[in-house]
Amino acid sequence: MRETARALGRLVRRQPLGAAGGLIVLALIVIAALAPRLAPHGPKETGFAPYLAPSAEFPMGTDQLGRDVLSRVIWGARLSLYVGLVSVVFGITAGALWGAVTAYLGGAADTGSQRVVDSVMALPPIILALALMAALGQSVNNVIIALVVLLTPTAARTVRSIALGIVASPYMESAQAIGASNWRIISRHLIPNCMAGYIVLVTTNVSYAIVVEASLSFIGAGAPPDEPSWGGMLTAGIQALETAPWMLFFPGVAISLAVFGLNLFGDSIRDVTDPRLRGGLG
Amino acid sequence: MTASKALRLLAALALIAVFAPPAAQAQDKPRPGGILTWFDYGDPGRLDVHAESPLVVQQATAGIFSGLLHYDPDDPAKIVGDLAERWTVSPDGKTYTFYLRKGVKWHDGQPFSADDVKASFDRILGKDFQSPKCGASLKPMVAAVEMVDAGTVQFRLRFPAAPFIPSVASAWCRVAAKHILAKYGDLNQPEAQVGTGPFKFKKYERGSVIEWEKNPNYFIPGLPYLDGVKQFILVGGPTQLAAAKAGKIMLWDAWPPMRKTQADELARARQDVDIYQASINTIFLIYLNSKKPPFDNVDMRKAVNLAIDRQELVAKALEGAGVPCAILDPKLAGDFALPLEEVNKIPGCRQPKDGDIAEAKKLVEKHHPNGVDIEIAVRSVGNYVDRAQLVIAQLRKIGIRGTLKTHESAAGYAAFGKGDFTVIASQDRSMDVNDPSGVFHIAYTTEGGSNYGRMSDPKVDELAERALKESNKDKRKQAYWELQRYILTRGDTATVAVAWVEGWFFKDKKVQNYKPGLTTYDNNTFMKVWLSP
Repeated sequence: MRETARALGRLVRRQPLGAAGGLIVLALIVIAALAPRLAPHGPKETGFAPYLAPSAEFPMGTDQLGRDVLSRVIWGARLSLYVGLVSVVFGITAGALWGAVTAYLGGAADTGSQRVVDSVMALPPIILALALMAALGQSVNNVIIALVVLLTPTAARTVRSIALGIVASPYMESAQAIGASNWRIISRHLIPNCMAGYIVLVTTNVSYAIVVEASLSFIGAGAPPDEPSWGGMLTAGIQALETAPWMLFFPGVAISLAVFGLNLFGDSIRDVTDPRLRGGLG
Repeated sequence: MTASKALRLLAALALIAVFAPPAAQAQDKPRPGGILTWFDYGDPGRLDVHAESPLVVQQATAGIFSGLLHYDPDDPAKIVGDLAERWTVSPDGKTYTFYLRKGVKWHDGQPFSADDVKASFDRILGKDFQSPKCGASLKPMVAAVEMVDAGTVQFRLRFPAAPFIPSVASAWCRVAAKHILAKYGDLNQPEAQVGTGPFKFKKYERGSVIEWEKNPNYFIPGLPYLDGVKQFILVGGPTQLAAAKAGKIMLWDAWPPMRKTQADELARARQDVDIYQASINTIFLIYLNSKKPPFDNVDMRKAVNLAIDRQELVAKALEGAGVPCAILDPKLAGDFALPLEEVNKIPGCRQPKDGDIAEAKKLVEKHHPNGVDIEIAVRSVGNYVDRAQLVIAQLRKIGIRGTLKTHESAAGYAAFGKGDFTVIASQDRSMDVNDPSGVFHIAYTTEGGSNYGRMSDPKVDELAERALKESNKDKRKQAYWELQRYILTRGDTATVAVAWVEGWFFKDKKVQNYKPGLTTYDNNTFMKVWLSP
């Protein structure tokens, strides 16, 4: 326990921004997990007067339909985190496996798969996401599917480059020389050695996924409008910019804080895991 | 100055004052030229004014076609001849004869004749032709259309019908060229927009802009004053308001109206506009699909009719600008409307809602003890999405859990027309004619052009037809009261009347001689509109 506290203290001293980011991420997780307890009202409850300015009763005011903005921002954390984490875990994991396996196999499998990656990455991400949402229909889970499609090729490309270095290393050659099966080499040697890159990809892409979800919801192609999505709340806020600026301000701050925290945290994870930068931690 | 000189000077000044044109009079003289900028709330996609019902189709084609009759641009309450110079009615009230203008030419130079009128109305009245506006209002009344000679057309009615003339004057009953119908098969393509109206169809860029240009051979010499009209396709309230604030559009006279907060925002941004509050003869409806579960069940429809809080929807979605629950608005339909005091005591309409919600919940529990999940559809135009969210919140209270499905405007119409929905959370229907019959023949009768819920109640059909045929005003009023009472008290209709919509509109002070029509569809030809410097 004391050791953990000491390590944490060291982290705070040497990576203060990362620690601040971690704190924001932790707060985000706590808010998302405890949303039903923390939110004073239901996120879809319309029983109040519309456009009420922030007050003691409604600290973030009410929106155009008389919903409590604070409750929606709190529930929005849950939706954003759910979309961010699930899409990133699925997308980056699928991409990482794809990249690692094709790098190991090499030849036509690698070349062919990289051309598929090229094709998908050639499309502007938001256009691709919009097209997918148009085809799939509006729902939170379809946003996740669209994000998985966006994230997978990027992860495949990045992890492949890491894996190519590992495949060329002497211990991989030794494993092949002693007759280890492909499955054993990939699962025991290749994938574990790609884990650092994988973790960095996961941490840095959660914020990207949250922003894409918010962007899709903002243009009306993401989560259904009644879901408490921060991006969707911005759309409603734009329509009442002069009448009720709090409708725009609070979800905007929530998105910025979440992305800021996740980026700081992700950067520090990268610093910690990158051997070239590891000296920084001492 | 002598007294006589002073008197002469005064006399001269008096003469100048009497004979010189006053500044206002000079200002009132129409000035030719200029382009009027306007907007459509969505992309019409299809342009067949006979076959379509969205306002945007009407807006896109309003200045292109003429009708036999139309509402007088100088006095929009008055019906006057358009392509018909005059008309007569037989003593039994069942035969109308229209005498057509001579020398009228189509935009492509072909001569106009009674043959075109017959071809148009034969198409509109065709048994298998879906004409949700003009056809829906005329089919119950008209038995046949006959060409007497090249300049005369006769309409034979099934019965003497008071709404016949207003229906013919509707902006949806436009006359198309027979040769164009033969060439293209329909009026959907921009190339088929060949009319006799004051403007020619110039350009249609999908999703962007529709342009008309002046028809130099218009049959009223000297008109139109404008060189053209440019309609931007602006989807979504923020885009529309931003365009208005930036001065990109000169007129906001059609659906969707601005809400109070938007009107206030515009007033702060522009001082060169006149902002006014008005009704646009439009009713906000919710549709339940009576042919699909769960709303093929009478109890489930009753539950929704009881649970919908019309007053909350008006207060929040329309920012108070609407008449909740009425099937006919007393401000528009006068005595034909059931008094609001009576309407507001009927279950579903009365306040407070607690009793009705408890009753509705019981009805839902009877058939779905654990509640029911449904899809709630809405076109993403106007503030329909906001309205839908309120509807979803209200239905959740009685155990109906809705998931919102949004449609692009034209795709929504296509889906609703095919019955591909469970609930339409919000659909405004504008009246084609300023007559109490309109709303029933649009939304409530079996053959109603916008009876999306596909409800068929023989008693509604019978009462609507009886009221339509009644020529005595008092008896007609009683018939409409009976019809409204029947629909409201039975409480299982698939077309739930939420409110008559009011809202805010604006006109740039440069736009002269524009008078809003009695319905949102009428008087949009801009034939007499001009722009001051």
